[in-house]
Amino acid sequence: MSIRTLLGLVAILVIGGALSLVLSDYSLRLMNLAVVSAVAVIGLNFAFGYSGLISLGHSAFAGLSAYCVAILTTKLGLSPWVAMPVAIIATALSAALIGYPLLRLKGHYLALATLGFNVSFTIVAINWLDLTGGTNGIAGIPHLSVAGYELSDERSFLWFALISLTLVAAAAAAIHRSRHGRAMIAVRDDEIAAAMAGIDVTGVKVAAFTLAGTCAAIAGCLFATHIRFVAPEDFNYAHSITYLAMLIVGGEGSIAGAIIGAVVLTFLPEWLRVLGDAYLLFFGLMMLVILVILPTGIVGLVRRISLKRRSPGDETTNVPARAGAHS
Amino acid sequence: MTILHTKAISKRYGGLQALSEVNMTVNAGEFLAVIGPNGAGKSTLLNVLTGLTMPTEGKIWLDGKDVTRWATHARIRSGLGRTFQHGRLFERLSAVENVMTGAAVRKGRSEKELQEFAMSILHRMGLSGVARHQISSMSYGQRRMVELCRTLACEPRVLLLDEPAAGLNSGEVELLMERLTALRAEHQLAVVLIEHNMGMVMRLAERIVVLNFGCMIAEGTPAEVQTNPAVLAAYLGEGYSHADV
Repeated sequence: MSIRTLLGLVAILVIGGALSLVLSDYSLRLMNLAVVSAVAVIGLNFAFGYSGLISLGHSAFAGLSAYCVAILTTKLGLSPWVAMPVAIIATALSAALIGYPLLRLKGHYLALATLGFNVSFTIVAINWLDLTGGTNGIAGIPHLSVAGYELSDERSFLWFALISLTLVAAAAAAIHRSRHGRAMIAVRDDEIAAAMAGIDVTGVKVAAFTLAGTCAAIAGCLFATHIRFVAPEDFNYAHSITYLAMLIVGGEGSIAGAIIGAVVLTFLPEWLRVLGDAYLLFFGLMMLVILVILPTGIVGLVRRISLKRRSPGDETTNVPARAGAHS
Repeated sequence: MTILHTKAISKRYGGLQALSEVNMTVNAGEFLAVIGPNGAGKSTLLNVLTGLTMPTEGKIWLDGKDVTRWATHARIRSGLGRTFQHGRLFERLSAVENVMTGAAVRKGRSEKELQEFAMSILHRMGLSGVARHQISSMSYGQRRMVELCRTLACEPRVLLLDEPAAGLNSGEVELLMERLTALRAEHQLAVVLIEHNMGMVMRLAERIVVLNFGCMIAEGTPAEVQTNPAVLAAYLGEGYSHADV
């Protein structure tokens, strides 16, 4: 692990921990939601940021996992610590099974197919009343307990969520720096050249999609044990689009970007509450501006500024590639 | 010893016969050139050999194994390597990372070993100074060489080169020829070269295959091909003579 990655991981814990001491209960709740989203968006970064697979069904994987936890704990009486690994494994397997046929599609066809998957998931969650409770959802998911201490308040849960985020970010950084990370980036840049470098393009795509689904599953577990209630509207396609927006705003292809995007877009409605309903108009315009002016997101902007400071006369030469994408 | 062998390879795109019953053998360590006018089917032949396009008819054997229906990556892992006419690189990776993707074909190498291996190839090709640079900051010639390094990192036994000299200046072409000659001698590498630069072809090739309208119209040593009337008519032109080479 590089020093830069290590510093990034420590920063997550230190900044998050410091904020947990000063924020109000409401802000802590938002912070928890931001951290849960960050875990999901780090997953989306594997599919979209590294491999170029446009997934508009990411929220369905979080939902699948959250419902697994809810059903296993409330209907079968299992401990959340047993339910969560089961939910993550089941969701990862589902992602692999769904990804294999879907990933034969490319570009907007893939986007539409994944969107269809998310819509289907929501329809099933609404209509399978016996299992999911329909639109009423499932309530009464038990609190998580660590060494006999119940994570029942926002502050203690935030610490657990931050540790989870740090572990997911560390794993993502390790994958990014490995041959598997390079293979994903190669597939996105040029599938034919990737195959010509001996990379199994289909295998890499399915692996990236499965990793994305696994991270979404972890986020789903965190969501279920934090809110202690799951309902279909928490995992509809709009959330998938929000995850994608978070990644684009923060900076696709970057773990730091995924985290920053998740935090910014979770808190943005609060910061812009003064705008009332005009918030959505502002949000749309902001996305447009970012796509046109900052296609590499906030992290890309920071990187460009730091490169300019380092070599004011020349931005292109002597620049190590893939400078971002660390925690 | 034959390492790559095709039998009656044909490829049809609707009404267009891009390749017609091409029989070709490549021997271990041999330098073979494939020439022909534009649209003769040279790049289609490489696409069929590497699995980017499936042949309509015919068979391909690599090291005695029928690889006709194999996926591209499986053929690369079995000893084929190919560069493209315009160079295809991974723009978001550095030069050394590009080469490391090729080196990862062989399992069991650690990250450190992958990097050392990639650096040794870049050093060999005179690119160690730009190993950490972004691809976008490199000259056209450097990009072509990085692509060649990535292909070499796959440790191929048959190297398929699609117009490697296109876009290079005379100095870079000379350097490329020197390095190809050295690599071939050192690794017993079979090279299949598609090239319009006749000087390069005549200087490097031991055997030449000539395609025209997807058909193999001639095969032989450079001297034989240069005097073949069918080749002169179809490709080199009536006025071409050995003295022009």
